[in-house]
Amino acid sequence: MKIKFSLLFLLLIFFGCSPVRMVKPLQKRQQIVGSSFGGPLINFAGAPIPIPFTSLFYANGITNNVTVIGGLNTTSLLFGNIHLDASSCINLFYKENKYGISLNPGVQSIYHIRDSKSFGLWPTLDLNGYFHFKNKSSFLYTGVNSWIELKNQKAHGEKVTAPVLPSFQIGYQLVNTKWNHQFEIKYLGIGRSNQPNVVDYIGGAGQGAFGLFYGLHFKF
Amino acid sequence: MKTIQFIQKSALLVLTIGFTACLKLDANLYNKKKLDAYQLDNYTGEQDFILSQDYAIPGSLIHQFTLQSKSKNESKATTIHAIYIGNLTTIANDTIIVYCHGNKWHMDFYWQRAKLLAHVNGKNKYGVLMMDYRGYGLSEGEPSEEGMYADVDACFQWLKQNGAKDNQVMIYGFSMGSAPSCELTANVSSLSPSKLILEAPFASSAVMAQDGSQLSMSASYFTDLKIDNAEEIKKIKIPFLWLHGTNDNFLNYKTHGQVVYNNYQGIYKTHVLIKDADHSEVPSKMGFDAYLRTLKEFITKK
Repeated sequence: MKIKFSLLFLLLIFFGCSPVRMVKPLQKRQQIVGSSFGGPLINFAGAPIPIPFTSLFYANGITNNVTVIGGLNTTSLLFGNIHLDASSCINLFYKENKYGISLNPGVQSIYHIRDSKSFGLWPTLDLNGYFHFKNKSSFLYTGVNSWIELKNQKAHGEKVTAPVLPSFQIGYQLVNTKWNHQFEIKYLGIGRSNQPNVVDYIGGAGQGAFGLFYGLHFKF
Repeated sequence: MKTIQFIQKSALLVLTIGFTACLKLDANLYNKKKLDAYQLDNYTGEQDFILSQDYAIPGSLIHQFTLQSKSKNESKATTIHAIYIGNLTTIANDTIIVYCHGNKWHMDFYWQRAKLLAHVNGKNKYGVLMMDYRGYGLSEGEPSEEGMYADVDACFQWLKQNGAKDNQVMIYGFSMGSAPSCELTANVSSLSPSKLILEAPFASSAVMAQDGSQLSMSASYFTDLKIDNAEEIKKIKIPFLWLHGTNDNFLNYKTHGQVVYNNYQGIYKTHVLIKDADHSEVPSKMGFDAYLRTLKEFITKK
C-alpha cells in the first residue's frame, strides 16, 4: 500500500523550485526583473518533463560586486503559501570576462495564509563559479546550494538529524543587451531517497531528483 | 516609471490570484479506484499477497452490504459498501475485528488481508468487518478526512445494531486506516473497541510533510488534513499492538510508528518490528502463521 501522495513533488520543489537567482552580480544601479519556469524531472506519459513551477524576482545592483535579490514563488502562492526569498549575490573573486566565484547568502520564508502558526524561515547559501568563453558576456556556471534547518526539533519533539539540505547545479546564462536567458540543471536532494512516490522522479539510483529550469530576465 | 508600475501591477495580480484561487492538494491524497462490482477471490488485479485454499472463506460467511454514513457536518448521508466475514446470527457473541484498510484502491485489494484476519485463533474464528471509505470501490461520494471517520463509525453503528458490544470489538488500522482507528478510539464514537492494532501507522500529516521535505516545514503548506495519530494515541487507554516493517520506505517506522508507540500512555502496549519488511509486507515477511499467532496472543490476552 502506497498512498498517492502527489504533494510530495511540492515538498521536494520547495528547496528547488527555481534556478539560482543571480550567479554574477549586476553592474551598479542595474536592475533586473526575472521569471523562472521548471522543476524536478518526472516521467509523465512515458516522457520526461519538468514539473512546471514558476517564480518571479527582482534584483538590484548595489555595487559592481553586490546585488540584492527578492523573489516570489508563484506556484506556491496558488496553493495559499506566501513563499518569498531574499538574497544577495556577492562576488568573491572576479577576472573581467574570464571567470569568477560568487556567494549568495539568503533566506527563504514561507507562510500559509490559513494557518497563523505556519511561518517558517530557512537560511540558504549558494556558492557558484562562472566562466566566460572567448570574452563573451554569456557564461557557464556551476555550484552548490544549501537550505539550512534552524530548528533542532521537528514535529512531536523529534530531533533534526540532517540540518543541511544540499543541491548541485550547472547552468548557462545567455546574456544579451536587454534580455538574459538562463538554462539550469539541478540535482535536488543529494543523498535523499526519492522512493517511494507516485510521481515518478528522475533521479540517480533512487536518490534525489534532477531538475530542469529556464529563466528569463529583463534588464533596465 | 513604467517599469515600476509594471512591477506593482504584476505583484498585485499575483497576490490576487494567490488569495482568491488557493488550489488544494488534498484531493490528490486519496488513492481511490472505482469498481463496477467486487470480485473478492476472483479479483485478478495487483495484490500484496494471495492466500492458499487453507484460508478459504465459505460463501455463507461472506456478507456484502451498504451502510449510510453521515458526518456531524453533513446534511445528507453517503452510501458506502462494507463486507462482513462471519456468521450474522452470532455477532453478539463473536470476537470481531474492524479492519480499516489503507489508501490503495478498494476492498478487493485488501480482501486477502481480511481473510487472513478471519483466521486469527482458528479457521474462520473471528468476524471481520471491512468497509470501503467513501469514494473507494463501490462506495459513493468523495473521500475526506471527516468522511472517513464517519464511514468507520457507520460500521460501528451496524455492529451495535446487530448486538455487538464494546468488549468483543477490536479495531485494526493499516497505514491510512490508522487515522480512523486512532480517532474513533480516542474520541467519542458509536462503539468503544476493546483493543487497538496499528500496522505501519502514520504519526501525523506534520511528520509526513517533514519526512518529504527533509525540513521542519508546516503540514499546512501542503494539506488541510489534520491527521495526528501521535497526539490522539495519548488519549487511548485500551491495549495497543504496533506492527511495522523496519524497511518501510513510505512511512518510516522510526519517524511515524515509533512516535505513535512512544506516545501511548494506556494500560498495555506491545510491538513487533518485522525485519526488512516494506510498507505492505508485514504479514508476508512475518509469515502468516507468526502474524496470526501474534494477533491471537494480543487479542486473547486478559
